[in-house]
Amino acid sequence: MKDYPVYNTYQTPSWCPGCGNFGIWYALKNAFHELGLNNHDITMVFGIGCSGNLSNFLKVYGFHSIHGRTLPVATGIKLANHKLNVLATSGDGDGLGIGLGHFIHTCRRNIDITYIIHDNRVYGLTTGQTSPTSPKGFSSKSTPFGVIELPVNPVALAIISGATFVARGYSGEIDHLASLIVQGMKHKGFSVIDVLQPCVTFNPSYSYAFYNPRVYKLEDTAHNPQDYENAIKLAMEFNDKIPIGIFYKTERETYEQACIELGENPLSEDDIENISIEDIIDDLLA
Amino acid sequence: MEKLFLRGSEALALGAIDASVKFYAGYPITPQNDIPEFLSRELPKVGGKFVQAESEVAAINMLLGASACGLRVMTSSSSPGISLMQEGISYLSGSELPAVIVNVMRWGPGLGGIGASQGDYHQATKGGGHGDYFVPVFAPYSAQEMYDLIIRAFDVADKYRTPTMLLVDVMISLMKEKVIRRFEKRSEVKIKSWAFGKVKEGEQKIIKSLYLKGNDLERHNWKLYEKYKVMCEKEVIYESYLCDDAEIVLIGFGMVARIGKSAIDIARERNVKAGLFRPISLVPFPEKELEAISKKCKKFLVVEMNTGQMVHDIQRVLGKDIDISFYGKPSSYAPTPEELFYKIKEQI
Repeated sequence: MKDYPVYNTYQTPSWCPGCGNFGIWYALKNAFHELGLNNHDITMVFGIGCSGNLSNFLKVYGFHSIHGRTLPVATGIKLANHKLNVLATSGDGDGLGIGLGHFIHTCRRNIDITYIIHDNRVYGLTTGQTSPTSPKGFSSKSTPFGVIELPVNPVALAIISGATFVARGYSGEIDHLASLIVQGMKHKGFSVIDVLQPCVTFNPSYSYAFYNPRVYKLEDTAHNPQDYENAIKLAMEFNDKIPIGIFYKTERETYEQACIELGENPLSEDDIENISIEDIIDDLLA
Repeated sequence: MEKLFLRGSEALALGAIDASVKFYAGYPITPQNDIPEFLSRELPKVGGKFVQAESEVAAINMLLGASACGLRVMTSSSSPGISLMQEGISYLSGSELPAVIVNVMRWGPGLGGIGASQGDYHQATKGGGHGDYFVPVFAPYSAQEMYDLIIRAFDVADKYRTPTMLLVDVMISLMKEKVIRRFEKRSEVKIKSWAFGKVKEGEQKIIKSLYLKGNDLERHNWKLYEKYKVMCEKEVIYESYLCDDAEIVLIGFGMVARIGKSAIDIARERNVKAGLFRPISLVPFPEKELEAISKKCKKFLVVEMNTGQMVHDIQRVLGKDIDISFYGKPSSYAPTPEELFYKIKEQI
């Protein structure tokens, strides 16, 4: 792993020492470098939560959006200018709690956006409430008697909802995560990367000490990412062994490719000077 | 009567429990997190249900459902979360369902910031959601009032079958001070004859806000308005401090009024005849009471932690002949008593 300060801003990250967000930050910079992207080649939409603070630390076109709404905002950007490399990032609370509906619909659309979930299984910025990926029984400030609900499984959900690139990364494996981001960004269609991101302050039971002995890489196994059924089977595995890598990858027409209104040129570059609506008016008056 | 030393947020949560709240649904957001933290721990102990919903939209809709069953229900949030709840607040009003909503204000518009602000006065008092309705709004200025007003908010909500709101300053929420607990045990709540499960056997009960036939909607909206007119007669609360001989009266709500009171004390020590008028119910607004003061005092200074919102209501009530000046602090830095005393002196 190397650092590429060209993507830094003047601000130093304010995350807690040891936060898994540092790993994602470095992996993103490595991925951008490997893809040969300049700062102005990258458009990123950020959510609310500790992950949203990333908007201050990455020198790219950044949109700090509403809680839970990163994907609709990113979709708007991609449809207005499909030449842009669009990424969205948010936490598990943002993307899988309040934003869960948007997540499923963006998977259905298969729009060419790369979505990174900072999955720390807790609300960190509000100092430790349960999140949609907190395990059953998890005790927190809002669930002192333990969580009743089952956790959301973002990997399985993405696969069955129609995302065409579904992977899981780990903040403790930065080079591996960077490679997933590179492949996700190269992929044409909606790519989802769920990142195991330790929150050492508010969810210490899921720290590096928990993940390090458990994670293993799918590319070291016989798994074929085209194998839908095995991908779902692997997505359900989260115990002594936790798979990271690409679960599922397929090709399907992207949303913007299927839009008859969108041509080679993005809408934002369309010339509206010479548009005439006279024919339409004539039709209406006929 | 128990004497306690509590944070405003804890006093509010305890007051809600003493008012027999049975259902809370909310979503994490700063700076109101310590209210749900208290209730998640304490509410189950007294047989109530606490839910962390998947969003503020889900939370307010859970309130609609629980309220329809006749429970006392509440939620709390901070400004952006309250914006998300506006749809539900409009539906609560239209469906005539009681519920209590607490807004511990932070900065806006947009994500704004998490510091102290009074930027939501317009949203709270002038609707926020769509349609023709009024939500009673109370603004506490001490931990004691956090306790007292949440109980009143539940009572008013039940009495008029309406959502009610507490518009809370973050400093009042985080400040720790003496609170006298009025109720030794939880208050008894009347059975609501209109609620699901309470209606007589064989009768149909529909809770709705849709009126398509004839002039049903017009009648419904006039009914909501009539309830508001009764509230204007019966539910106004305010405090008037040393206004009788005052040459200038400072007007503010919540935290600003708390600081303003110290400014009035400084003024009186220096023989400056200043008083304080503090609306506690922002809806209904203490119009007659303010008008009465303006018979004697001709100078008013309105102070708010925004660029001027309540001041429009003051201008509307007092008219153009009265000298009304405004001092706004649209930042996280509250005015100091000395600063307000200086502003008072500038005006006379």
